[in-house]
Amino acid sequence: MAVTQQKQQALQKVPFAEFFAIWMDRLGTVLVALALFTIFSLTAEYFLTVQNMQNILRQMAITSILAIGMTLVILIGGIDLSVEAVVLFSAAAMNGLIFNHVMPTGLAILAGLLAAALVGLVNGLMIEKVGISPVIVTLGTLIAVRGMGQMILWINNSWLWVTEPIFDYIKATTWLLIPIPAVLMFVLYAIAAIMMKKTILGRYIYAIGGNERAARLCGVPTVNTKILVYVLCAFGAGIGGILMSARLGAISPGVGQGLTFEAITAVILGGTKLSGGVGRVEKTILGAFIVAMILNYMTIMGISAHYQRAVTGFIILGAAVLDQISRSRSR
Amino acid sequence: MRGISKRFPGVLALDEVDFSVQRGTIHSLIGQNGAGKSTLMKILAGDYLPTKGEILLDGQAVSFHHPSESRARGIAIVYQELSLLPNLTVAENIFLGRELGRYYIIDDNAIRKDAQKVLEQLGVETIDVNAQLSSLPLAQQQLVEIAKAISFKPQILILDEPTAALTPQNAERLFEILKRLKNQDIAIIHITHRLKEIVEHCDWGTILRNGKVIKTLPITAQTSEDELIELMIGQEVESFYRQFVDHELTGQRILLEIEDLMIGERVKGVSFQLKSGEILGLTGLLGAGQNELVRALYGIQEGVSHCKVRRDGKAVTISSPEQAIDLGLCLLTENRKEEGLFLDMSVKENISMPSLSRFLRSKLLPLLTNLREKRAVQGIVEKVNVVMRSAEAKMRTLSGGNQQKGILARWLLRDLEVLMFIEPTRGIDVGAKAEIYRYLDSLADEGRGIIVVSPDLTEILGVADRILVMHEGSIVREFHRQEASEEVLLANIQGATVNSRQGTKGNGSYATETTGAAESPLR
Repeated sequence: MAVTQQKQQALQKVPFAEFFAIWMDRLGTVLVALALFTIFSLTAEYFLTVQNMQNILRQMAITSILAIGMTLVILIGGIDLSVEAVVLFSAAAMNGLIFNHVMPTGLAILAGLLAAALVGLVNGLMIEKVGISPVIVTLGTLIAVRGMGQMILWINNSWLWVTEPIFDYIKATTWLLIPIPAVLMFVLYAIAAIMMKKTILGRYIYAIGGNERAARLCGVPTVNTKILVYVLCAFGAGIGGILMSARLGAISPGVGQGLTFEAITAVILGGTKLSGGVGRVEKTILGAFIVAMILNYMTIMGISAHYQRAVTGFIILGAAVLDQISRSRSR
Repeated sequence: MRGISKRFPGVLALDEVDFSVQRGTIHSLIGQNGAGKSTLMKILAGDYLPTKGEILLDGQAVSFHHPSESRARGIAIVYQELSLLPNLTVAENIFLGRELGRYYIIDDNAIRKDAQKVLEQLGVETIDVNAQLSSLPLAQQQLVEIAKAISFKPQILILDEPTAALTPQNAERLFEILKRLKNQDIAIIHITHRLKEIVEHCDWGTILRNGKVIKTLPITAQTSEDELIELMIGQEVESFYRQFVDHELTGQRILLEIEDLMIGERVKGVSFQLKSGEILGLTGLLGAGQNELVRALYGIQEGVSHCKVRRDGKAVTISSPEQAIDLGLCLLTENRKEEGLFLDMSVKENISMPSLSRFLRSKLLPLLTNLREKRAVQGIVEKVNVVMRSAEAKMRTLSGGNQQKGILARWLLRDLEVLMFIEPTRGIDVGAKAEIYRYLDSLADEGRGIIVVSPDLTEILGVADRILVMHEGSIVREFHRQEASEEVLLANIQGATVNSRQGTKGNGSYATETTGAAESPLR
């Protein structure tokens, strides 16, 4: 009898206000994106044009691909500050190999991706096996790896020209009006979303972020899973390196600066909790879209790049505040 | 408190609750997990705002938006989990956040003196105010927590399961202290699952069920535990007692054989066997090594210096939970929140976590099949009777007892042969307790081996076929259920060598005895 009573209570209908609050939480990012999109379309003449939308997609492709790995890292309760350095490093490595005719283009690109993944492996090992905090480790690799990238550039007279036609193709081609980098972005997001929802790895990532000790007691290989996540994150940055080469046509020592925080901003705007365990990778792309829209709008309105940097900073702070508020409310 | 209601997403936790306490009494709040006891107290302490209703203090309406506001009005609360800082001294902990002193310089002497006074008020001046908190045993830490609450000079003192982690003797001492406070005209509100404590020590009792007050009654010498249980669960008690069916033990397979297990100073060379179809009880004082022992068998104990384990006669090493699970072992620890639950994941995901590889589509396409997973979870959940809105509901929304049943369901789904439990019913109400005991029993009947570690002697006596008593890292006695009684166990866990009731040592003779059947986990 007591049981049926409890059941009835549990099954009681959720009142409308609450229902509304729950859906606001779920759709918050979507609504913000839609609102900004509408406002920008109405206030800037050139905002809602095919060409500008393509621009936004090109602009957001790299950030949002970095943000996939960043989402995973944040989901397991970590952080990776080194991704922007990995972008430079892998771009410099693959173009250095191509430029000096060390190996064929395909192999060189593969080598660049491998170098990127290796950085992730170092991150993961230092964090999980040595037990240093992710912030310190990835801050260290951020500087060390950027330095290594710049070393490669310095050997090649400070600049590396991107010469291969494959990069031109990535830069110039569109499929059904969608630029290639964006196509790649959508494909990667689809794969990541399926991975998080449908594979054991995805389940383990949520478990580790939610409660690492409990995950360990459930037989989840926590250490190896976390190391793998750092490798995946860095690998994503390697792909970012390919796209960066295509977009810029030349690799200079400053490439990639600011990308890490743009990616983190996208993740937080997408609703992933900084404390780990809660979030959806497919919502990160919306976060990246919001960031890209805002930057693009400011460019159209003729606001200087220096202001844009400040605005990105304030967006990340604002998003962190929202993250904190929603966390304390769900208490 | 008048007409208090509190609604959480999807649940009405409190429904028009009226509750009042008088000065100089100990008032017990009684109810199953999820009945709303803690929620009610959190509202009184200013942790939650009530959705509806008002709080009257000495006849005056008040409302608390923050714990500090209720504290200022003389309401102090001691939560289940300790809120002390292990690296500070006792005195520093008591006055944390309101250090005495002038010009931003802390006056250590004044703090020590005042802390000493508070401890004297409690009658526990033997605790050294300069001792680092982590050096004290858990029971004394609990007293420091209460001392901290008392130092606010409260008019109302709320204790949320203060005795859950204490041994019976320490709990007794705590009640002596509470009686002292009661005589100082403080109102004490006390939450516990130990009905014995209520009957013996409390003056009033208020029974909550599903967020409603069922009854407020004076607790007298005539009040019986059964009466309280009936009010709590709303049905006759009989059905909740465990029916003993002796497991047929002779000639059973030896599932697990441990030889000379050593963990530094904490476990000093322990050997025992676990047979199939047997529930083995492991008890002792806190820190006697029993928890470390089973944690070592699950590969999560640090500092294991020597351990020889044979599983089905084969020598094995266990250095991680993954290996342990592969060998057919699982462990449910007493820290449900920290070591068991994924609060933000669904009940389904919580339960299927160790069994995921079973729900893959195929080797070539290693994707999870939602339908098969859901069906399997649903089946096991019905068997264990987890009350929830749906399998997709977050674990956070379940009550403590149902969460524990959820973890049990997780391992039943994994279908392992050796199940180890540390305090399987800690902080769980009687109804869920009885259900869990029943599952343990049926699992043993299926031929599994079960180890139950618990300092709760009634629990051990209630479930175990065989009882091992640990003292300071060694197994000091072995009993069969019928030979043991609470008194004998109590003496043994403290290191005394008292003979068992029948005066026989653990050998085959127990099979003919049936006197133990009267013992029940509820009494």
